[in-house]
Amino acid sequence: MSEVAVAIPLTTDSKGLPLAERVSIRNVSFHYGDVRALRDINVALYDRRITAFIGPSGCGKSTLLRVLNRMYSLYPNQRAEGEVLLDGENILAPGLDLNLLRSRVGMVFQKPTPFPLSIYDNIAFGIGLYERLRKSELDARVESCLRQAALWDEVKDKLGASGLSLSGGQQQRLCLARTVAIKPEVILLDEPCSALDPVSTARIEDLLFELKERYTIVIVTHNMQQAARVSDFTAFLLLGELVEFGETTEVFTRPKEKQTEAYVTGRFG
Amino acid sequence: MRIHFQRDMERLEREILFLGSLLEQATNKAILALTARRPDLGEEVIAGDDEIDRREVQFEEDCLKVLALHQPVAGDLRYLVSAIKVNTMLERMGDLAVNIAERAVPLAGLEPLPAPPDFQQMAADVREMVKLSLDALVRQDSALARRVCEMDDTVDEEHHRIFHELRDMMSADPTAIERGLHFLVAARCLERIADHAENIALDVVFMVEGKVIRHHAEE
Amino acid sequence: MSLCAGAAGLGLGCLLVILGTLLWHGVGGLSLGVFTKMTPPPGDSGGLLNAIAGSLIMTALGVAIGAPVGIFAGTYMAEYGRKSKLTAVVRFINDILLSAPSIVVGLFVYTIMVAPRVRVSIPIPQQLVSALGSKIEFTLGGHFSGLAGAVALAVIVIPIVVRTTEDMLLLVPQELREAAAALGTPRWLVIRRVSYRAARAGIITGVLLAVARISGETAPLLFTALNNQFWSVKLNAPIASLPAVIFQYALSPYDDWQRLAWVGALIITLAVLALSISARALSVQRKAQ
Repeated sequence: MSEVAVAIPLTTDSKGLPLAERVSIRNVSFHYGDVRALRDINVALYDRRITAFIGPSGCGKSTLLRVLNRMYSLYPNQRAEGEVLLDGENILAPGLDLNLLRSRVGMVFQKPTPFPLSIYDNIAFGIGLYERLRKSELDARVESCLRQAALWDEVKDKLGASGLSLSGGQQQRLCLARTVAIKPEVILLDEPCSALDPVSTARIEDLLFELKERYTIVIVTHNMQQAARVSDFTAFLLLGELVEFGETTEVFTRPKEKQTEAYVTGRFG
Repeated sequence: MRIHFQRDMERLEREILFLGSLLEQATNKAILALTARRPDLGEEVIAGDDEIDRREVQFEEDCLKVLALHQPVAGDLRYLVSAIKVNTMLERMGDLAVNIAERAVPLAGLEPLPAPPDFQQMAADVREMVKLSLDALVRQDSALARRVCEMDDTVDEEHHRIFHELRDMMSADPTAIERGLHFLVAARCLERIADHAENIALDVVFMVEGKVIRHHAEE
Repeated sequence: MSLCAGAAGLGLGCLLVILGTLLWHGVGGLSLGVFTKMTPPPGDSGGLLNAIAGSLIMTALGVAIGAPVGIFAGTYMAEYGRKSKLTAVVRFINDILLSAPSIVVGLFVYTIMVAPRVRVSIPIPQQLVSALGSKIEFTLGGHFSGLAGAVALAVIVIPIVVRTTEDMLLLVPQELREAAAALGTPRWLVIRRVSYRAARAGIITGVLLAVARISGETAPLLFTALNNQFWSVKLNAPIASLPAVIFQYALSPYDDWQRLAWVGALIITLAVLALSISARALSVQRKAQ
């Protein structure tokens, strides 16, 4: 089943636009202790496209996402096997500089997590890890990041206010701005809108369209309509295995696998 | 949510199939009215078209509602989109049946004219195409649908021959012109009914396989 | 419901009686002199200056020694070794120490710092012999000292700070740490700039509560710092402290000494009250965030 994705490395999409493979996930398996959560996953993530991971609860989509920035390395009981190539370099190799990896692969979480710092410092925090900027440069960077997150107009007069004083949707956009501040190449989003109201959700989805021009994006969502609206490619996972991977329009109009059809039409899950 | 959607889809399915059966009956009656010189049947067909029109409008409304409320995808979406098109086809076929029925009325009042030899055959073929395309819709049978598409070529040829036969008949006997013209129009309507039946078959292929084979003669 | 109200009323009543008695007896003796003069021999007028100074020094030193140890231990338990066996063992021992009688602590410090005399002899390297002599010799221990008192207080501070630090750090949501890690922040920076920042108010509250606790401790000081009638801020000699002075003066038959004891008790009580109120204010501020 998992050969579906690897067998046809795509070079152009259905509109004829060129595709470049940015992240190659090869034979990745994952274990929580003795429990296997992912089995032999093979997926390609294309440059400056949005790929969605969908599937019922517990299918392993968040687990797969967290492999991409080695977030599981924080916990001793979790381990991954296989290869994940980011621009040709295997990021699952032992001895890899994890902080450097995470500066290239950023993540936004399900629950908005602004630091207990001012809005300005939330963004400056990440920048300060890698660059030494003059105050004027830092100000400009903070502004640019907040603009990218469509938050600038709402907070420009209160940059000193605590990040926690913002609404849920604003906090999530702040987390997005914070992630963008470190100039990653790939942005991972783990159900970013599940804690937000529909209006905030729509704004973040619009943002993703703009961000797509600069970053390769992966989004995990249990909301199929969101995956259909937002993504270019969709990977359907079930019980830790990749069932189908393809362009979103295909997956949602003529899925190849019966299980995919059953899931997207809502017959289960 | 899912049960609600399922019920709506089942109802739509029943409606379109019922409309299809109304159509089949209307077509058969119109042809019979013409060839058996039964103007009464013709009147029935003309009167019955109101119900077909009404049901067509209602069906489209119902489909729109399901699309808006349930946002279906994949197979369900293809079914709905095709069903809307089939719905339109059926209504047009109904109008064509009315046209044929309208020829039956004046023809009954004129001297009987021997129908062109291919006419009966063409009528039989068109009736068969309509029946098979609706069967393919009921059974979601794309192989059957493809056969219907092939039959359209035969019907086109028959139409072409009827044209020549009628032309010869009318040039040989000028008094037959009026009757001949009625037959010509009827034949033309039959040919168009066949085209619509072929379109229905193409939509069935899309519903089942997700492929669009329109304009691909070799398929 | 009336039973509960009655019990609450009883508790509140006792507290008010204590405060009332303290105020009644102590306020009369409060004057500037209390804060400027030394503890007097019986019959003379005097103040509590050396006792207050001694208490302040030992409390400050006790916190300076105990709080960092407690905070680092708590940090290890919450940030690095959350699931490890070592953490479980340390937590268990910590909870025992938390309720250890302070007199036992005093005896312990007495045994290791006050009683034994240790002769220390440090040889001097060749190059400096001419300037400093062949070796440096001194004696450690063997006498009561302010340092020993501070150490005893530190031993009381440590379990309190460990407990509150660990609890406060455990309250910091894991998602916050993950968010910082996702930016590529090294572990120690995550702790310093995210965990500590988030738990800051709670940890400070814990330290303040520890300070409040040790301000009133008497028993450990009796075995370690003893007491001193005169002004002394030397750490390697007995030093005065408020609780010790109160102990001595309250039991004495002299009126002016007894009055000074009341004043001392009042000062301690007010100080502890102030510390508790600030701790409370800090935690309210944290909740409001």
